[in-house]
Order: sequence, then C-alpha cells, then structure tokens
Amino acid sequence: MSGELLEIENYSGAFRAPTGELTPVLHEVSYRLKVGALTAVVGETGSGKSLVALSVLGIQPPSFVRRSGRILFRGVDLLGLDERAMRKIRGAQISMVFQDARAALNPVFTVGRQLADVYQLQHGGGRSAAMKQAIEALRRVSIPEPARRARQYPHEFSGGMAQRAMIAMAALICEPSLLILDEPTTGLDVTIQSDIMELITDLCRVGGLTTCLITHDLGIVAETCDEVVVMNAGRVVETGSAQAIFTQPQDPYTRRLLAASQLVEAAA
Amino acid sequence: MSPRDAVGEISPELGAIRQVRRRPKLSWSMRIGAAVLIFYVAVALISLVWTPYDPLTPGVGDGYDAPSSAFLLGTDRLGSDMLSRLMVGARYNLGITLTAVAIALSVGTTIGVIAGYHGGAIDTVVLRAVEIFQAFPGLLFAMLVVQAVGPGIVNVILVLSFVGIPDYLRLARGEIHSRRSWQYAEAARMVGNPPWRVAFRHLLPNSIGPLLAFTSINAAFVALITASLGFLGLGLGPNTPEWGNMIARGQDGVMTGQWWVSFFPGLAILGLTGAFYLLGDAVSDLTDPRRRR
Amino acid sequence: MTAGGVLLQVRGLRKNFPVEGGRHLVAVDGVSLDVAAGQTLALVGESGSGKSTVARCIVRLIEPSGGDVVIDGKSILPLQPHLLAGVYRRIQMVFQDPNASLNPRMSVRQVLDEPLRLHLDLPRAARTARLRELVEMVGLTPLHLDRYPHELSGGQRQRVGIARAMAVSPEIVILDEPTSSLDVSVRGQILDLLLDLQQRLNLAYLFISHDLQVVRHVADRVAVMYLGGIVEIGPTERIFSAPQHPYTRALLSAAPVAQWGVARTRLRLVGEITSPIDPPEACRLVGRCPLAQPVCAAAKPALIDIGHDHAVACPVVVDGKAPFPSGDLQPRLAAAATRGL
Repeated sequence: MSGELLEIENYSGAFRAPTGELTPVLHEVSYRLKVGALTAVVGETGSGKSLVALSVLGIQPPSFVRRSGRILFRGVDLLGLDERAMRKIRGAQISMVFQDARAALNPVFTVGRQLADVYQLQHGGGRSAAMKQAIEALRRVSIPEPARRARQYPHEFSGGMAQRAMIAMAALICEPSLLILDEPTTGLDVTIQSDIMELITDLCRVGGLTTCLITHDLGIVAETCDEVVVMNAGRVVETGSAQAIFTQPQDPYTRRLLAASQLVEAAA
Repeated sequence: MSPRDAVGEISPELGAIRQVRRRPKLSWSMRIGAAVLIFYVAVALISLVWTPYDPLTPGVGDGYDAPSSAFLLGTDRLGSDMLSRLMVGARYNLGITLTAVAIALSVGTTIGVIAGYHGGAIDTVVLRAVEIFQAFPGLLFAMLVVQAVGPGIVNVILVLSFVGIPDYLRLARGEIHSRRSWQYAEAARMVGNPPWRVAFRHLLPNSIGPLLAFTSINAAFVALITASLGFLGLGLGPNTPEWGNMIARGQDGVMTGQWWVSFFPGLAILGLTGAFYLLGDAVSDLTDPRRRR
Repeated sequence: MTAGGVLLQVRGLRKNFPVEGGRHLVAVDGVSLDVAAGQTLALVGESGSGKSTVARCIVRLIEPSGGDVVIDGKSILPLQPHLLAGVYRRIQMVFQDPNASLNPRMSVRQVLDEPLRLHLDLPRAARTARLRELVEMVGLTPLHLDRYPHELSGGQRQRVGIARAMAVSPEIVILDEPTSSLDVSVRGQILDLLLDLQQRLNLAYLFISHDLQVVRHVADRVAVMYLGGIVEIGPTERIFSAPQHPYTRALLSAAPVAQWGVARTRLRLVGEITSPIDPPEACRLVGRCPLAQPVCAAAKPALIDIGHDHAVACPVVVDGKAPFPSGDLQPRLAAAATRGL
C-alpha cells in the first residue's frame, strides 16, 4: 500500500440550478494526502477547495452533481459507499472542523455535553465516563479550567476557544485517521490564529494524524505545512512540497498568488 | 488603472448568475391566483354598469327559483336574482377587503418603520401599545367595535384596517430594526440621507418580500372577517348583497333543498380567499432583486 | 509633520456603552491622533480594540461620549445632526464588506448618483459626466453603471464603494478594513488603486486594519490599539523594525509570513484579558504583561514620546530599567501566567 491515506482521482462535478442547468465547478481534481503529513489545500473563493472536502465526507450540497472521479480512502472509493457505511467512517476515520466554531456547536447544549455525546456515539460507555473524557479533551487543547468550561454554553466561549473545543471534538474525542480543517482560523485574531495553528501542528506531529488544512492564508501554510495543493477555479494547478511551492513555483497562478500574499516583497 | 485590470479579477461565481433568464418564471399558483383576482375585479367593475337584473329588487322571480336559463344562479327567497347580487357583492367584499388592507399596510408599515429605525423610547411605547391591542382576538374585537360605532361601510373598513395594523407594524419594525446597523444603512447616512430617508428609501424596499407575502395572507384573513361580519348581520344593512350576508339569508334554504342561495356566495368567498393565498406564495420570490436580471 | 497639512485632529475621543447593572463598557478610552493631507495613518488592532468604533465616532455614525473631532480647524461634535451633511462632503468612509455596504436593490448608477444629488445638488448633465469620471477613476467602465451588486465580483463591488466615497471629492477618507473581505489576489489591486487615488487627489487616509502586512504596504504612520487605547504610535518602519510596547511586539510576532524558511520567535501574552466593562485606572495589559511593575497598576499610562515621532504608552519600556529581552520570553511568562490566571 502506498503512503497515501486519501487519494482524490479526477473528481469532476457541477451544480444543478433549479431550472436543471448544470454549471461545472470542479474539473478533474486530483491530489493525494500522505500519511502523517500536514497538507494544505490553498485557493481563493470559488476555487472549489471546500467542495472537494465536503465530498470526501459525503456532505456536499444536494445541488452538487458528480460527473466523474473517485475518492479513495485506504483504497476504498468513498463515493461508492451508501449512507450507513459513510456514517461509520465519519468521525471514526475521517473528521472535519469547520470555519465558524460557535455556529457549528449546538447553542442549547453545554460544550461538555456535546463532547460527551460524541464520545458516547463513537466509543459507547456511560455518561460520566464520557464527561470525564470530554473534560480531558478540553484540557489537552489548552482550555484553562476545563471542568468549568465544560458546563458553559457555546455563546460563552470566545471564537478562539470555541475553535479549540471543535478541534477537541474532531481530533481527540473522535480519534480519526484523517482530520480535515476548513478555514479553521479565518476570522480569528492573529494572536489567536497563531495559537490555534500551534495546536493543530502539535496534534499532527505528535499524534501522527494525517491533516488536510484548507485555507487561503499562505502565511500559515508557509510556517506549518509539509505539502501544498494549489487550486484555482475548480482545477488543481500545482502540487508539491511546501518548500518547492514557495521557493520554486511553477504555475503562473501560483506565482501570482504568492506575489499577492507578499505585498512587501520589495521592502522585506 | 485600466478596465483591463478590473476585468482580470477572478470571479467564477458570476458565471452561474449570468445564466439566469431575464424574465422571471411565473409559477402556476401565481397565475391562477392572479387570474381569479382579475376575474373578481372585472366582475365588480362590470356590475357598476350592468347586471342581469336589479339586485336589490325582490320579486323578479317567484322566490327560490332553481338555477335556470333565466336565472343563471337562481333566485333567493325574496326572488332577487343571485347572479346580480353576487356581482354587486363583489364590489362590497373585494372593495372592503382591499381598502382595509391598503390602510393597514400603509399605516402599520409607516409606524413600524419609524419605531424600528429610532429604537429607544418610541420603539418601546409602540410595541407595548401593539401588544395590548393584540390581546383582543381579531374577529371579536371587530364585532364589538362595529356594534359600538354603528353600521356603515366606512366604519367597517376602518375597523378591519385597525385589526390588521399591529401585524404590519411588528413585521416592518422587525425588518427595519435588524437592518438598520448594516453597512449599507451607514453608507446611506454618509451619502447624505437624513435618517427618515435611510429608513424608507433604503431599508424598507429591502424588506418588501416578507411584507408582501404577509399582505396576501392578511388580505385572505380580512376577506373572511368581512364575510363573517356580514354573516352575523353586523355593520351593513340587512338587504346588502354582501356575500356573507347572503349566506346567512340562505341558511333556511339549505335544509329544504334550495342549496344555491348559500352555496354560490360561499364559493365566491372561497375563491377570493384562495386567490390571495396563492398569490402570497409567489410574491416574495418575485421581489427578490437577485431574480430580476 | 507640518501643522498646516493636518486635516483631521482627534483629541481624547471616548465612547462608553451602557451595560446592564448601571455599568459601562469602555470601547474607546481617550484616543488622540492626527491625519495630514496626502498621508496615511493606520489604526491597527485586534477585535475589541475599538478601532472600528473610533472610525464611526469620528464621522458620528455613533455619537462619541467625550473628546473632540476637529476637521480643518473646526470641531464637528457640537454640530446639530442635520448639519452633518456639510461634514460628509469633506470626510467620507469606505466600508469593509462590499456585500453589505451596497444596497442590493440599487444599481451602480443609483449608488453613485445619490451622493451627487444629495450632497452636491448637481444638475443632471453634470451628474452624468461625473458618473463617467467616477467609474473610470476606480478602474470600471460605464458598462458597469447599469449592473446590480450581485452581478459584480467582490473586487468590483469594493471599487464601487470607493467610487461612492470619492463622489463628493472629500479631503479625508476613512477606510474601515477595505480589503479584509476580498480575495488575496484582488487585495493588491485595490490597495494600489487607493494609493493611486491618494496621490492624485492628495487625500488624507485613516486606514483601519487588523492585517499587518497590508498596513506595512500602505501606511506612513501606524497607531496600535489595545482595548480602547493607543499603546504605540509612530512611523511605519520604526513600528515594524523596532516595536517597543509589549503588545505591539506580541502582535507583530504572531503574524505569519508567506515566505519559506522564515523562523519566527513568538512573544506571548498569557492570562485573562482585562474586561472592558468598568476597567480600573491602570494599564490594560496588567495581568498579561511580562514586564509588569507596580507603576503599571497604579495609573493608566499616557503616551510617552521617545523621539523620531514615536510614542509608547509604557513607562517601564521607556524607563529602560527592566531591559526588554529579545527572543521568546517563555521563562518569564511562566511567572506571569501563574499571577495572571
């Protein structure tokens, strides 16, 4: 078996309008995620990077229609699995963290309860044992006073802290082999962003977790990621190691993106 | 900075929008609703110049004539032609309903916009007043007030519009209140609009969708209350060819087999109410500016 | 910085919001700044710093609780609201989110025509000419005039927002995070457009942003805000190459660079953030700052001039008695952490 955990192979698709017209949005997207590596998928609005990630988990929008391609997870085509099989994979094998953590958490349950619920769903067992695990997970993502925080509701968490709780849920409670993060730091203050990225890289390196980071922020990518996939308008334009992409970009779009991200390249 | 630079920007999502057709597609519910309503309006207008017989004169027929070629929809107990009475009735039911809705819409929305944009004390006072007002169930309130102020078509219209004002007020107030701190409201101030103009010229048009949708439902409701008041004999004279009144007068006939005296007015009311509901379905879609081009 | 060129002066601006229980949330706590013609002052800070509130108080979209705003020598705070129209001919604002700042029901033509009608009261022929001028000024074409916002890309919408602000030929423009909602590749174009316009029209810019890279690209001077106050202000290059205030250093060290092989040493502030509700008269960084001394909790520090047009609101740094160590402060932070939590 190759060192790839996930392989996206010639994935193409379109959005179906209410009138029935198809608008192609993904064109032969192909890339691979190496085991234990932190891979970044970068692109701007409309590049399709999030759409591919949602497809991996089978939660793409209903108006999206697949035209061709496969998504191979450990050699199995996820697109061919039925809903029951996918449910077994979600959380247990592949997990996802979304952009706005406070919106992703249910506002009427305490954070601890939500984490405990997920724990019971994944591992079974009693409520108090699950709660202990929930508090422990919060502690491991550096949330101070985890026992007190577990009894609070999502709206009482700051943006950064809620994101930590989501990461705790997705990475620690769920124990997946693959963690996908869709713009996890967008909208957070830069100091909080830095903290969250450190947490993510810790989990990846120490836990050996294969991680896919979807982002448009090349600064974060340069500092933390091993591999990079560059997407534009539904196509993959370039892939490579982070070092290669940053020091010797081949594709003109990649070069433009880098130039735009480095506004002060002359001054620096 | 040349236009070339502007065009060179990445905008893939525009492709989807450009494919939307120029003319909005009219759904079937909208067509049927509009057709029925136009039909009613046409009948009401025609009745101003012509009816088969004089609707108010009794004895044209013998009384309780079944529908026939002479009297297309039969006659009532007193022998007046049903068709003529229905046609004239359209003026009453439709006229009262539309007028009351128009008044409630304009008055309620205006106060609601002002309260929503200002916030603070004005808003609190208005809301509390509305809440007290809404403690009374609509039909009951209408009945009481009509009895109190006496009969007359103007009184009926005013009472019905009052019953509807609170709902428009709250709806408009909520819409404006939630939008007033949006950036385009701030920009409208910077561009030189006084506050009232920001509220009415900028914020209100963006809230049209929910308001219009509610108007249809409200119109259906008012039509029913109008007919109910007429059925109970309140507000209008006993011989008025208003449909609710006509149903009441035909009640005796239902048991003895003269079904047409109550049936056709009932059908007319059903059609009117149904038309409003159908229209309401499609109206809010059409007012979305994203559909326009 | 010649006094003659200063168009906008803000002195001791304050804004409090009442909170339940009779308390007050202090959003802006005594902010003073100057902006001169042809110059850009950037106001930098994270969420909760009060920078957007400062911008809105200056143009009185929010009414300030205290202080003064002087435009070209005349204070604008005492003016009755209906007289503000005159002020808006001299100072305008470009908003952050081009999706939210354009009325979805108005075409570009209507959006740009409104200020021409309301502020300048121009006749139709003059307006038509000016419309053409405006769209071309921002890199669009007259074809765009009849489009609606949903038919334009994000960058194009922001150009419309900029054109709207320029319509009345203001002297001062406040830009509230003008590129934060835009894609990376579009950002550079919009910033270049803004710089170009500034040069041509000799505009004074107050540029609000949380993005340090963008700020470095456009600003002549930078003011760093934290919890309602300016903690450091000075020329851009000095702030970036030799930041003094602990918060500025923490902020700069947290910003990632989109280049390979850049090693960053992170300066961390750990501990609970001071609540902005009824804050004590002390430095806002108390409890999080590795340099904390008794003087910090005694009174709120004022900005101290340290030469080269650079000022810092930290007596400890200025004193030099507790030398600021370079590099990561982990060992000292451990002590601060136990104290702060």
